[in-house]
Formats: sequence, structure tokens, C-alpha cells
Amino acid sequence: MRLEPCYFCSSKVYPGHGITFVRNDCKVFKFCRSKCHRAFKKKRNPRKCRWTKAYRKAAGKELAVDKVFEFEKRRDEPVKYSRELWQNTVRAIERIQEIKERRQRQFIMNRLQVGSNNRTEDDLKEITQFMHLIKAPHAVNPELDEVHELAKQRLEELKANKEKLVSTNKSKKTNKKREKVEVIMEETSEQNAAELEEN
Amino acid sequence: MAKKKSCNRKSKSHSHKKISHLHKIYKTKRKTKDHDQIHVDLKIKNAYELLNQSVDNDVPGAAQNYCVHCARYFVDEKALKEHFRTKLHKRRMKALETEPYTQEEAKRAAGMGSYVAPKKFEIKTQPDRQTLTSIYQETTDKDNMII
Repeated sequence: MRLEPCYFCSSKVYPGHGITFVRNDCKVFKFCRSKCHRAFKKKRNPRKCRWTKAYRKAAGKELAVDKVFEFEKRRDEPVKYSRELWQNTVRAIERIQEIKERRQRQFIMNRLQVGSNNRTEDDLKEITQFMHLIKAPHAVNPELDEVHELAKQRLEELKANKEKLVSTNKSKKTNKKREKVEVIMEETSEQNAAELEEN
Repeated sequence: MAKKKSCNRKSKSHSHKKISHLHKIYKTKRKTKDHDQIHVDLKIKNAYELLNQSVDNDVPGAAQNYCVHCARYFVDEKALKEHFRTKLHKRRMKALETEPYTQEEAKRAAGMGSYVAPKKFEIKTQPDRQTLTSIYQETTDKDNMII
């Protein structure tokens, strides 16, 4: 039994659930529930409905392009049973799942980090630019001056960090190569992983 | 109190159940063409055939006034021209600009394969029959070019 993804929301369609619609040109559409089927009948675009997986990937909300997505596949080749292969596969499944989850988590954290950085930057800018609203330029107030200096320093630090991030993103290419090697070592067993998973 | 609240919510969510004309539209019996089918129709070879159909008295306007983008027949040329200026038509053209969604893409979104960005197309309202024929005769790549 295969668990096909829903046409609209990409969730798994379990046996006994949902509707399979076969159009008069033999194209097959699978739906997990009436919500998805109804949206299809209304000719909604899944890339634009915010609750679908397709939207989340197209809009950059989730990790969309990565090597970890290449393992699970529909392979229509029969495999002869071998105990060793089976064991390796089961181990590989766990390992891939672990890597995948970690990367997905990291992706979302990085995405959210940008917003929080921007917010602190805005706050610091407000302090540095509008100090004259609470303190006259020539007035003596060492406490406020200290705050002003600190804000300036932190703003510069933030900006420097941002530049660093950009440069690391550029140098990520070299890192990626190393990752690939790690993955390839597992690939032989992982290839079968997906197969068995689906069978 | 809680019971009353849930009752209210229920009546709200079911308040549009009686709009029967919408139910009829979405029946499989009255199914209109999907966007991916229309994308195939937009290929110049198919569009040429659709715009030059033989007289069929079962469809509006004897199948002489057809909008390829909306997959609809019109009574006369005036009605067709009016239709080109409607929001319905413009919305459809906008929707056709991106590559149609497929079950393969749903699979990719589910985690089987990496995301591939959909292609973009430039969609214009169909030309009149004469200009289309001239374009049809000029183009060599009739299977792939989009009108």
C-alpha cells in the first residue's frame, strides 16, 4: 500500500480516506479530505492557499531545496529481500529523518532571526537618532550619554554581524561540498530506505 | 452558556448551505476545463483548431465565438469582445501566467524531491481569427508556441 500525497495540501492520504478523482483524460488527482477536493473544484491555486505545503515551500517559509529530499522517492523496482540491506535501511531512515528535522529547524530559526535582528536594529536606530527629543544637545546628563553611546556601539556590532552573515552565506558553498560527501557515504543503503518505506 | 455559544457558531458556519446555484456549478457533471488543460489549448496548433470549429448547433453561437482562456462559447462576436473586458477574463489570464500545478509538484512539496520554481508565461488575449491564421501559417514550432 502506498501513501500518496494529497494533490492540494500534500499531506498523506491514508487508505480508506479521501477521494480519488480521475479526469476524462485519465489524469489522477488524490485528495485527503473534502476541504481539498472542494478547493480543487473551485480551481484554487495551491501555491496561493496559505495552508498548503506548496504555499509554504513556494513562499520560502520552509526548507524547500536540499539534498535530504532526494532520498524518499517512488521507485518502481522490485528488491530481493536481504537481511543486511533491511537493517541498513532501517538505520538509514532514522538517520535521514534526524538530519532532515535538524536542517528544517535550523532553516526556520534562521528565517525568524532576520526579523528579530531588524526589530532590534530599528529600536537602536530610534535611540541614536532621536536622543534630542528627551535631552537637549548641550545639556549635561551622563546617564543618557552613556545609553546613547551604548546604543551606537550595539548598532555597529549588529551591522558588522549582518555583513558577516552575508559573507558566510557566500562561503557556504565550500561547506556544502563537505556535507555532500557525508550523505553520499550513506546513499547506498538510503536508496533502498525509501523503497522499503513505501513498500 | 457554553452550549448556546457552540450552537451559534454552528448556525453561522452552515448559513450558506442553501446557495444551491453554487452547488450546481461545482458538480462533476458540469465540470469545466482545468487550468492545465487550458495551457495545452493555448498551444498555437490547438488554439487554431478551437477558433476554427465547424458549425455545431448544440453550443452557444454554433461554436463560432470561443474564448480559449476561459474555455467558453459566446453567442456572437460582440458578446465575445465584451467578455474580453470583464474581470472574469482578466483574472483567468492572470492565473494562467504561471505554470499549472501538478500532482508531481504536490509530491515535491510533500518532501519527495526539491522545490522547482514554476515557469512564467506571457499571456495575451487571443487575436481575431484572421490574425491567428496568419500567425499560424508563419510559425514553424506549432506544438510549443503559446498564443
